[in-house]
Amino acid sequence: MNFPSLATLIEITLRTLAICIPALVISLAIGLPIGIAIGRRLFSGRVAVVSLINTGMGAPPVVVGLLVYFALARNGPFGDLSWLYSGQAMILAQVMIALPLVVGITLAAVGSLDEDWELQVRSLGVPKRWRLWLLVREIRLGLLAAVITALGGILSEVGAVWMVGGNLEGETRVLTTAILMYTQMGELEIAFGLAAILVGLMLVLAGLLTAVQQSGRT
Amino acid sequence: MTRPRILHLLIAALATAACSDPIADEGDLLLVTTTSLRDSGLLSALLPVFQERTGVRPQVIAVGSGAALRMGRDGNADVLLTHAPEGEEALVASGAAVSRTTVMENYFVIAGPPEDPAGVRAEKSPADAIRRIADASAQFISRGDDSGTHRREVALLREAGLDPAGGWPGFVSSGAGMGQTLQIAGERRAYVLSDIGTFLAFRERIELESLSQPAPSLRNVYSVLRIAPDRFDPARAERAAQFEAFMIDAKTQRQIADFGRERFGRPLFRPLHLKSPSGS
Amino acid sequence: MNDATILSARNLRVELRSKRGSFVLTVDELDLCAREALVILGPNGSGKSTLMRAMAGLERPSAGSVTSVATGPVTMVFQRPAPLAGSVAYNIRVVFLGKNLAGAELRDRIGEALERFKIDHLAEHRAVTLSGGELRRLALARAFALRPAVLLLDEPFAGLDADGQAALSLDLRRAISDTRVAVAMVTHDLRRAMLIADRIAVLIDGRLAQIGRRDAVLEQPSTPEIARVVGMTNLVQGVVIDERRDDLALVEVDAEHRVAARTDCAPGTRVWIGIRPEHLKLDIGRGAVDPIGKGIVREVVSDGVSVTVQVDWAGAELRTHLMAGRGLARTLRAGVSVSLSASPKHVHLIPVTPAI
Repeated sequence: MNFPSLATLIEITLRTLAICIPALVISLAIGLPIGIAIGRRLFSGRVAVVSLINTGMGAPPVVVGLLVYFALARNGPFGDLSWLYSGQAMILAQVMIALPLVVGITLAAVGSLDEDWELQVRSLGVPKRWRLWLLVREIRLGLLAAVITALGGILSEVGAVWMVGGNLEGETRVLTTAILMYTQMGELEIAFGLAAILVGLMLVLAGLLTAVQQSGRT
Repeated sequence: MTRPRILHLLIAALATAACSDPIADEGDLLLVTTTSLRDSGLLSALLPVFQERTGVRPQVIAVGSGAALRMGRDGNADVLLTHAPEGEEALVASGAAVSRTTVMENYFVIAGPPEDPAGVRAEKSPADAIRRIADASAQFISRGDDSGTHRREVALLREAGLDPAGGWPGFVSSGAGMGQTLQIAGERRAYVLSDIGTFLAFRERIELESLSQPAPSLRNVYSVLRIAPDRFDPARAERAAQFEAFMIDAKTQRQIADFGRERFGRPLFRPLHLKSPSGS
Repeated sequence: MNDATILSARNLRVELRSKRGSFVLTVDELDLCAREALVILGPNGSGKSTLMRAMAGLERPSAGSVTSVATGPVTMVFQRPAPLAGSVAYNIRVVFLGKNLAGAELRDRIGEALERFKIDHLAEHRAVTLSGGELRRLALARAFALRPAVLLLDEPFAGLDADGQAALSLDLRRAISDTRVAVAMVTHDLRRAMLIADRIAVLIDGRLAQIGRRDAVLEQPSTPEIARVVGMTNLVQGVVIDERRDDLALVEVDAEHRVAARTDCAPGTRVWIGIRPEHLKLDIGRGAVDPIGKGIVREVVSDGVSVTVQVDWAGAELRTHLMAGRGLARTLRAGVSVSLSASPKHVHLIPVTPAI
């Protein structure tokens, strides 16, 4: 088998980004506010909610993939969407996997603040809108950790993405599923080439985020 | 038991495990086969009988035909059980395989949605059927993984005068095993080329029908290849020979002839070494 | 104190539920006047911090209300000042968030706050690297930057060494008098309290036990519990007897130990005799005025500045202080017999209420 053409490599890489970046953005957009909200407040049933989140954090991605597959299949509850074996299904699965991680880590970051933090800030007469801004600024390193973790999980996800995406050439094939496929086919050279691109991608993205994180420490 | 004794036993066990040959560690016979064969369930029926009769433990790895042939070429297997005659013959010619023995056969099917928008049912010739699909720009899910089934697709496409990589808008390559490819076809209401065994196993679930008729270009022959051992290990070669003998043994061949009848109402394979007609 | 009330608590009831159970703070009436310093004393767990938070508007009461008619903000400085991530100057700057202050004026206000507590040299340091004392100063600078009308302080000196406490106390007093802010402060340190307080409020078990001018509360606690909280640690039970000395009633603990005091209590009344340690005098043989009887010295402990003497008097342990280095201090030793005396105007009597 010939090594995939440059055009194919670019196509797979771009699709990987087109799936992973929206998945990251959506899980952050939903997860960060939820994590902050839960972290700040005490409410009855909080223990149950936090346990649920911790369970979600440890949930095997392949189980999440199975649930999404089942939900989107033709005979499933959302079969009418015809999302199975499409990019939307892959993004959905990625978001479901990353969301508990984002919420859990953000929760922990908020929890690391002094108990009295909110009271102190309130007693200084800081208006409500600014209190949220201050909070985010205080925990920004923790939030960055959530982003990096979510990004890592999303970029490396292969099982769930294979299950709901189908690894269809030209449609839902991304770097991770392509690597799996070529390895199964015995085409290790090709698999290594794709792996190099994937690792390179992770290094660049993680490196950027880490630079931002470390600059916050000076 | 005192603590030093437990420690001794532990060390002895570890040492034994460490000393054994790494390949032999995983079983007494490394059998490489295709995913479609594994998915058919035939091996699950035959291998326990083999193990009981000979005491040899088979370790099964299922990959696409292309990968299987490569593993044979690289000496990473003891026996192959595949259905890619050209590649198999090349393996024998190169000396990587010591022998090739045909075991059984069946026919590929072109499956598709019962409403058959491309009108495949009307064609007797598989190549014409494929051309109909292409002309209708209907969805076709290709294996795309260099497996035996994939190679058959390519052969049919060539016979139909079409681009082996498809070339029409509905042609989608899954790069996956037969089961996954069939599920994708079912989900998409698409056409697909499949071996009969896997198709029958998935038919109800995916709600697709077999639309083709048996023809020479769909014939699928399964063979056992004994791989030349790269180390002098008479025990392994002996076990490989035992497996080959087992597969063409009368009892096994009768078992093959009946396999699938209970589940699908018809057998999946036709054995090639039965002396008397099995009355299928 | 003729200044108007600027903060009032009425019928206040705050309920706290924690793992250890529930706690209720009840304060029927508490006023804070402009420019006064109110010190809140009480044992651990008596609700002082809760009261502070309620007064700061940070704790929602289940009944009653806290109203502020102050012309400026009410702000609180917590026991554990949590620094924000960033420089010291940033920590001050957050006070001005949302208030439109331009560059130069902002800088001036921040500078003024930092200088007030002498941490201007730390302006660019990261707040998390500050020592405990510096953090306290930062918290105070931050609070004063607001130009508050009411300042609530929860244990502002806790954890500081003697030098640190003295220096901070000085700067704080100057800041308070400069800005004429009303202060309510919770502290365990009686000496601090005595230095700063205009009025003292005593909380015991979630209730306001006594509130009044400083000297009144210190010298005339209304119960033995309050007496212990305000430092009147010498408490002995006795009975008012029929004899009188000069114009004063006599309280007898036993025949050898009698104390003269001004009281309206009828003879036969059982009372607690309360004498602050600083008002209990020792005498070795020179003939004291207002004698109350002899005692045996139990222990003499010196910390270099003052000497604490524990005396066994009529079966009770009494305590008094002397300045280190003075003649008497040098000759005292355990086992020595001493004569004790206390001026009647410093003897406080609390009728013993029968236990219910």
